[in-house]
Amino acid sequence: MDRTTGMNSSITRRRRRELVVAGVLLAILIVLPLPIHDVYTRNLIIITLLFAGLSQGWNILGGYCGQISLGHSLYFGIGAYVSTMMFVGGHIPPPVGMVAGGIVAAAAALLVGWPVFRLSGHYYAIATVVVQEIGYLLALNWDFIGGASGIYVPFRGESWLNLQFRIDKLPYHYLVLGFAAVTWLVAWWLEGSRIGFSWRAVKDDVVAARSLGVRIFHSKMVATAVSGFFTGVGGAIFGLYVGYIDPDSILSGQLAILIALPAVLGGVGTLWGPFIGAAVLIPLRELSSSYLGSSGNGVDLMLYGALIMGVALLRPQGLVSLVNLVRGRAHGAA
Amino acid sequence: MALDTILQVVISGLLMGLIYALVAAGLSLIFGLMDVVNFAHGELMMVAMYAVFTLWQMTGLDPFILLPVVAALLFGLGVAIYRLLIARALSVRFNRGMVQIFVTFGLAIFIRGFMQFWYGGEFRSITTTWLANRTANVYGVYLPLPQVAAGVVCLAAFAGLLAISRTEFGRALEATREDREAVALIGIDRDRIFALGWGLGAATVGVAGVMLAGFYYVSPNVGANFALIAYVTVALGGFGSMFGALAAGLLIGEVEAITAQILEPSLKQVGMFAIYLAVLMFRPRGLFGKI
Amino acid sequence: MKRFLLATAALVALGAGQQALAADDVIIGVVYPLTGNGAPVGLDAKAAYEVAADIINSTHAPIPMVMGAGGGLSGLGGAKIKLVFADSQNDPQKARAEAERLITQDHAIAIVGSYTSATGATISQVTERYEVPYMSADNSSPSLNQRGLKWFFRTSPHDEMFTAAMYQFFKDEGVKTGHPVGSVALFYEDSIFGTDSSTVQRKLAGEAKITVAADIKYRANSPSLSAEAQKLKAANADVIMPSSYTSDAILILRAMNEIGYKPKAIMAQAAGFQESAFLTGAGPLAEGAMSRSSFALDAGPARPAIGPVNALYKAHNNKDMNDNTSREITALMTLADAINRAGSAKPEDIRKALVATDIPGNQTIMPWAGIKFDETGQNVKGTPVIQQVTGGVYHTIWPFEVAVQPAVWGVGQ
Repeated sequence: MDRTTGMNSSITRRRRRELVVAGVLLAILIVLPLPIHDVYTRNLIIITLLFAGLSQGWNILGGYCGQISLGHSLYFGIGAYVSTMMFVGGHIPPPVGMVAGGIVAAAAALLVGWPVFRLSGHYYAIATVVVQEIGYLLALNWDFIGGASGIYVPFRGESWLNLQFRIDKLPYHYLVLGFAAVTWLVAWWLEGSRIGFSWRAVKDDVVAARSLGVRIFHSKMVATAVSGFFTGVGGAIFGLYVGYIDPDSILSGQLAILIALPAVLGGVGTLWGPFIGAAVLIPLRELSSSYLGSSGNGVDLMLYGALIMGVALLRPQGLVSLVNLVRGRAHGAA
Repeated sequence: MALDTILQVVISGLLMGLIYALVAAGLSLIFGLMDVVNFAHGELMMVAMYAVFTLWQMTGLDPFILLPVVAALLFGLGVAIYRLLIARALSVRFNRGMVQIFVTFGLAIFIRGFMQFWYGGEFRSITTTWLANRTANVYGVYLPLPQVAAGVVCLAAFAGLLAISRTEFGRALEATREDREAVALIGIDRDRIFALGWGLGAATVGVAGVMLAGFYYVSPNVGANFALIAYVTVALGGFGSMFGALAAGLLIGEVEAITAQILEPSLKQVGMFAIYLAVLMFRPRGLFGKI
Repeated sequence: MKRFLLATAALVALGAGQQALAADDVIIGVVYPLTGNGAPVGLDAKAAYEVAADIINSTHAPIPMVMGAGGGLSGLGGAKIKLVFADSQNDPQKARAEAERLITQDHAIAIVGSYTSATGATISQVTERYEVPYMSADNSSPSLNQRGLKWFFRTSPHDEMFTAAMYQFFKDEGVKTGHPVGSVALFYEDSIFGTDSSTVQRKLAGEAKITVAADIKYRANSPSLSAEAQKLKAANADVIMPSSYTSDAILILRAMNEIGYKPKAIMAQAAGFQESAFLTGAGPLAEGAMSRSSFALDAGPARPAIGPVNALYKAHNNKDMNDNTSREITALMTLADAINRAGSAKPEDIRKALVATDIPGNQTIMPWAGIKFDETGQNVKGTPVIQQVTGGVYHTIWPFEVAVQPAVWGVGQ
């Protein structure tokens, strides 16, 4: 009895500490872009935060629930198309469109999950890729949503309701910061909830979980719906920010990998993994492409590939384990 | 639709299907052996294509003659990849499944970047081979000779794989595949088997690449065009099954050809993907999957 | 993470600092795909722009074209053009970010680009917001100049103009030989280029009362095009009109040959068909193929600048100028000319000078009537030519006044 209470309170203490760290980080990120006036850097931070949130969304399904989806750009694309079409065609303000995009993406995730969740391991992963490819091919050939020509988002003037700004990047920064913060918070809450426990059980040992009364299929469906929702919202934000969407840029296999990669590099199934992973991967990728890619000799690709291999082999638990190492040493010294 | 058109469609699908099958075979072999999906498989094929192109440029010899050389090169490359990367990936203690996916994935990107670095991004073609651009007309059905040759070589490769499975090495492969924990007990060096298995898988896709270079273009992104079809073929046939890879390859090739006739050709891949998903609903481990 | 972000910011600032150059250099940003699928075209473009900048900047024997005197921008006291390249990876988001970086970090006063229409769309959005000119050298989608943008300028004709030239050629050749075109087969890849091109081709076929015997949209970069070739063979149209990039161009010719089909005529929407890799890869199968082109390498007599410029380009990149690279050089020359006339590096002055541009055709390397922009920023004097492959090389066959040889006309044979 004593030991359980002790463990419970240490868990609560850890969780409270996580909230505190998150709060501090949030405060820093709110203030961070103010002294930085370089547009490229601001853009870099925005893309990094966006992928941090996206990857956290992926993490909910892939990391916590153990279903490695390599086709998540499908939900990203659905969110982007729904929101963009509502804005361009229906003049519906993006904030509404984003939520709508997320909901439709979540619905699609449920639709996909229903048949696909009976597959295991590599079969599941490949099935997610196939579903995403089908989505891509259908979008490419569907004239109603623009087909291959994509959709161009016209600038309707500076407006907070439409979330459109001529040059200023600051509002977008706070938008994606909010997005990333919400995904983090949801992941944090789910970690400590009953469904979070179910997911860990499913991930670790399906047979044992079933024997404990965990409804496997139900847990997976909840995970995929939540994950799909956030991925869709992220896609909607992206569509508005870039101002142009087409199947090649938002429904591609490459993008699907990019959504999963930060979580993998940072540490799947951990709270901070996707954020650490995004903070390392995205700047590295963008900077090496901008400053090394202009020669066209493929060096930036080699760097990118080498980084993925390096982290996967040397730190398979993810970069978050390095942070724990440092913290452990600090505590040990104290 | 006229009979000779139907026949033409069926045979074109068959010939392409044999290539898909051979590309898938190597992938299936590696997975069956050690549970690793090689996401750099398409890139290995691309390396083989560049290898045969370079050798052809230097010596002027027909790809047929260069085939064993390139196969041996790819065998060596496969073994090297195993020893340098995969062995390490297998001994990882956390998130092993994910590590394997992303190690080979990173390798794929690295190889692609390297080939662009070494050769530039330009498209290359092998233009003066023995069979280039020659077609045989059999009762109104046209058989493009480079593809027919590729199909024959693919079948020969499958026969070769079958023959290998009967040898002691082949039986060791099978034993390791069935129970990789226990094989040490019967004196099989598992590590060596894995390395050779990788070599064989790479050599197999290398053969496919050499034959492909006879009628397809060579560029750093060629692997990507075939990769997804290869994974679908393997999963459809069942990971670990050579016969499954052959059957699935032929099926996929046919479905693609027929879908292109019936629907808009830009949607031809939807047909094969749909079939794939449909089969998986009833047989979650693929048609002949053993894992 | 905070430390990492600050380090990144410092790195970026350092990088930006290192870009500061001689005060009188005029900086122009160039955005192209330098890695990935578009790399072959992007790298050729880079070479083209470097050659063009060199012609503008260095001292040399005068070349008979606009800005061909060398020695820098005389209107700015001999200031030199400095090009800064950025890789778009054919990704609209990346293209946008890079254009923005070039404008804000490298202080580019104009952007030139960008090959694909998707990247052209996002780059021109950025340039519109930052109020710097965007010179579209080779984006061919007709919709790009229809968005009411003030800072968008396009020297190159677009696909509607190109396709109109094709159908005019059909009419003229039909009258001349007595074998008019009765049917066409549209064969186009599934990206923006293909779908936009086919839309115009379909429309104009209807207006010219020509039957569309086959309307085939195919998956770009497919492992095999034999099913598509089957459909083309079954349709047996008078002219096949492909809109394809290099890889598919090679593949479809081979695929048709493999099933024993020799088309009567091929009229390509350039792109892959105009690339040297295509001519090498398709070899004898390319004989007789026709293509629209903005550029005529054999127009030497009428365009004396072609000789020296092509020599320079060939020395730099080991191949002749083609449809793309010639347009890219022309775009930079046009932009430099405007900057020169403006006598200033301020974007608004350059824009006014661009609007006033009126360059006669014989002051360029293009077979065009000239360069003059309409209110949407489109050059309306860009008159395309039709070329045909004979002996492994493209020769101009239309308009008849500039043709070097008559067409080998397979229709009606």
